[in-house]
Amino acid sequence: MRSPTIHSPALLKVAAIVVTVGFAFPAGYLVWRNFTFHSDPLGVLFSHRTQGPLLRTLRLAVLVSASTAVFGTAQAWLTTRCDVPLKRTWQALLPLPLVFPTFIGAAALIRTLNPGGLLSDWLDNLGLVWDVEIRGLFGAWLALTLFTYPYVYLPVAARLRRLPGSAEETARLLGDSPLTVIRRVVLPQTATAISAGALLVFLYAISDFGAVQLMRYDTLSRAIYTTRLNNQPVSMALSVILLVLAAAVVLIERGATRRYEHAAPVRSRSPVVYRMGRAKPIAVAFLAGAVALALLGPMASLADWTIDGIRLEASGGRDLLVGWDDVWSPTWNTAYGSLLAAVVSVALVLPAAYLVVRHRSRIGTVANAMIVSAFALPGILIGLALLFWTLKTDVGSHLRNTLVLLVFAYMVRFGGQTMRTSQVAVAAVSSRLTDAARTLGARWVRRFRSLELPLMAPGLLAGGGLVMLSVMKELPITLLIAPFDFPTLTTKAFNSIEEAFVAEAGIWSGVLVVLSAVLTWIFVVRRADHFD
Amino acid sequence: MPVADSAAPLLSVEDVHKSFGATKVLVDFNLTLQAGEMLSLLGPSGCGKTTLLRLIAGLEQADKGKIALDGNAVDGHRSWIRPEDRQVGMVFQDWALFPHLDVAGNVGYGVPRRQRIEEVAKTLELVNLPGMQERTPDTLSGGQQQRVALARAIAPKPKVLLLDEPFSNLDAALRREVRSEVRELLRDADMTAVFVTHDREEALALGDRVAVMDAGRIVQTGSPSEVYHHPATPWVAAFVGAVSMYPAEAAGSTAETDFGPVPLIEPRQGPVEVAVRPEDVDLRAAEGERATHTVENFEFQGADAVVTVANPNGIRLRVRVSGTQSFSSGDRVAPSYIGPPAVAFDRS
Repeated sequence: MRSPTIHSPALLKVAAIVVTVGFAFPAGYLVWRNFTFHSDPLGVLFSHRTQGPLLRTLRLAVLVSASTAVFGTAQAWLTTRCDVPLKRTWQALLPLPLVFPTFIGAAALIRTLNPGGLLSDWLDNLGLVWDVEIRGLFGAWLALTLFTYPYVYLPVAARLRRLPGSAEETARLLGDSPLTVIRRVVLPQTATAISAGALLVFLYAISDFGAVQLMRYDTLSRAIYTTRLNNQPVSMALSVILLVLAAAVVLIERGATRRYEHAAPVRSRSPVVYRMGRAKPIAVAFLAGAVALALLGPMASLADWTIDGIRLEASGGRDLLVGWDDVWSPTWNTAYGSLLAAVVSVALVLPAAYLVVRHRSRIGTVANAMIVSAFALPGILIGLALLFWTLKTDVGSHLRNTLVLLVFAYMVRFGGQTMRTSQVAVAAVSSRLTDAARTLGARWVRRFRSLELPLMAPGLLAGGGLVMLSVMKELPITLLIAPFDFPTLTTKAFNSIEEAFVAEAGIWSGVLVVLSAVLTWIFVVRRADHFD
Repeated sequence: MPVADSAAPLLSVEDVHKSFGATKVLVDFNLTLQAGEMLSLLGPSGCGKTTLLRLIAGLEQADKGKIALDGNAVDGHRSWIRPEDRQVGMVFQDWALFPHLDVAGNVGYGVPRRQRIEEVAKTLELVNLPGMQERTPDTLSGGQQQRVALARAIAPKPKVLLLDEPFSNLDAALRREVRSEVRELLRDADMTAVFVTHDREEALALGDRVAVMDAGRIVQTGSPSEVYHHPATPWVAAFVGAVSMYPAEAAGSTAETDFGPVPLIEPRQGPVEVAVRPEDVDLRAAEGERATHTVENFEFQGADAVVTVANPNGIRLRVRVSGTQSFSSGDRVAPSYIGPPAVAFDRS
């Protein structure tokens, strides 16, 4: 069969295969290492050393995804369908807690709400005593819920905005009460968005390291981290268990998206508005509470730490370790590392996106599945696998402590985020346009440069932006394999928090949050509708 | 009609086969085109017209057969020239303008850099859009976009220009206007063109020659009037214009019907069907024995009207009458044939 339009160029296939192998490498290495280590993951699985962390991981993940599903959906419904005041403001503020890495959020909660924090100081002034300690399961649940609910809120709000109000109006005319309409019409149509968001949160919760580390809640990822140096076989076996758990979640997700039904993309001109009546103050209090706890509180405490530190220094106390140069280098490293990871991810995922969209190639399908599933791989596993690889093998030792290894790890962790945007970008270049360019004499280099790249640019930028944002906030990979002379804002902030250098923690976290806030605004909030 | 038949054809398509999976799109396809000629390719949707254009342009590759351009094989046994090297221009059905480039960027895309500014200005002049260089495609009207697409295709001076239903995205009133404009323009530029359409009026108006296609083959080629007045098959007769197939008894160069004699192009004997165009019949009110038919339906269309009449056996005849004439259902009438010699086919 000769058919140049369908045949995929060999170069694309080779590129896609190499990238696929790269994405599969960390997980493959972990599994292989277990066999050669004789670390006996099955034996470890049934020992009480594992069952505790495994059960704690599951308990936390179930609780967090349930609470985010409820809160996120409620917030989405209130801000898209009800007559709450300041709708636009809520819509702008509610996704913003995404800017906090969970460890910074958790640290802020600890320092604000625990005895000796901002809250107890205020209550002291009023003559009240506050001695609730936020730690463990409750602390980890609170932190993860507050800082991951936007993963449910964003897709559900996007879906609700697209749902034609006419279905709800019809149900009302047929005699349903508002609550019945929600149950019979709205929920069924948003169910896929809710479950997709909740599943993402579940995945986030099982792989989270920052919040559980600070809340001292011993889940799998924390147990892997603490045993990595003195008990590697256990650390490895726990890693495989976490890997299997993540894989199971991905399989469930696949099964769920197969049944995914597209809502008609109708943008109703005047969406239905439910009058809240006497419930309005409760709704406003709910939204305000979420924004206060997840956004304003943490920001206030970051500012509080910084101001406290500066005041202490001014009054002759300890010198702050940070001068301008000290701030500049980690900030630059964070920006540079995440930009590099974004560019590499977009460039390397693009061949697979081409194969899937343009050529419907089998290699493309496999590459797509691999790249997207790697997104479920917890960062701690990627970091650990690559760390051991550089320590135990000759080939790997050349890459120890290099930026190349770090960027590669970031790409495996977050490259999948660019897959969908890249596919949409490739699909946006109609084959008619490339056909037209061919009849006008343009060869593929010119077609790519003058036609496809400019047309794909918005989509590729969006994908790259998501990667940048994620890399900035990433903790475990950065902790485990960032070069020693490559301090980033996350490692600086995390170490300051762990060593209780409160003022420095405030500054590093503050810079990081501002940077990621800018990116979140550009790539997440403004494009919220694309999340559906 | 330009260029003698003896000259070597500019484009030849020989015994070309093309299938997509199990679907045979083109079967043993043959076509030649002389330099300067404009060919209309007329056929129903899905008959393989667009695939043929894509094969000529090189956007698809033939399974079998040979395509030659200017005497050189571009697609055939051992030769394959890529579309970017063929110098074949194409105007796409949806025009496929590059949305991120302005008009100058679009029109100049296929022109070497050094001549670009000059050529763009000249071509825009030609398509009647002077000074529009800096407009972007989304600020142009449908007709203007169509002309930009045409300008883009002819600016690199292709050997052949292929037009794939280029007017189907325009509304009816604009279509006629743009159509004659394009014909003039291509004629002035001495352009060789293949023009694909499923609209018979468009095909007859635009082509020096019309090729009627059905199910992957050419059923008939000829001048527009040949195809209209001397269709090769009943299907062609019906596809290029309204027609009634009327039973008759042929005896040499005339055929006798129940409303009188019809002259035949070619002598025939015995029972036949004659292809009668609505405008070739005159209709008068009649009474008694002279009234052979009864009016079934009268459809007023402005300048004229179409009347459907039937004989006592229920065999129908469509007749075009002047808009000033008026009939009602049940009127008794006498049709008579007033047109040129007609074609007769075997009774089906």
